[in-house]
Amino acid sequence: MVYITSWDEFVERSAQLFRADPDSTRYVMKYRHCDGKLVLKVTDNKECLKFKTDQAQDAKKMEKLNNIFFTLMSRGPDADVSEVAGKEQTEAQPGKKGRGRKQ
Amino acid sequence: MVLLQLDPFLNELTSMFEQSTEKGTVWVTLKRSSLKSKVQRNKMATAGEPVEYRCLIRATNGKKTISTSVGAKDHQRFQASYTTILKAHMTALKKRERKDKKKAAGADKKEGSKKP
Repeated sequence: MVYITSWDEFVERSAQLFRADPDSTRYVMKYRHCDGKLVLKVTDNKECLKFKTDQAQDAKKMEKLNNIFFTLMSRGPDADVSEVAGKEQTEAQPGKKGRGRKQ
Repeated sequence: MVLLQLDPFLNELTSMFEQSTEKGTVWVTLKRSSLKSKVQRNKMATAGEPVEYRCLIRATNGKKTISTSVGAKDHQRFQASYTTILKAHMTALKKRERKDKKKAAGADKKEGSKKP
């Protein structure tokens, strides 16, 4: 089992794995509340990437990764993953517009 | 394996998380699937029809397994609800120890605001 230490490397390699073989790649998440541990696994039945953590900050990063996978899986491997980042930008913009007048 | 609609699946997933707080694990698997057999898929490909893919989501607590299938239209809604459920339940993970960092950051900020 390959445990990856860097989050960014895990994300990049899992996206690559998925794009190479979208039909057999799957993403598994295992959560144990009693131990406070989270393990993520991405495999295409030939290669396997794993990431384990007990940090709350990694749960937030995992949520972004979930979004990426959902987009890739439901729309197809050629889907634009920058849409995920794009959504965050569109959410930030309306906030700025609303605060025009502070007197 | 129980195949559910989106909302019942989310409800069952929530109760799974709640039941396994003291003991037990929750596994969630995400996979792309067209939910058709290989024969049907080949036929569709040769006929020129676009093969519709959906995202298959499975969840288990070791004893019971539930699943649902999400298409491109439902995926945004599912994503939002799913994220909320995870955030609400993954409370056992350690928070970053920012005590040392906060003191240093606070000291720097105070100095920074006084300067200009």
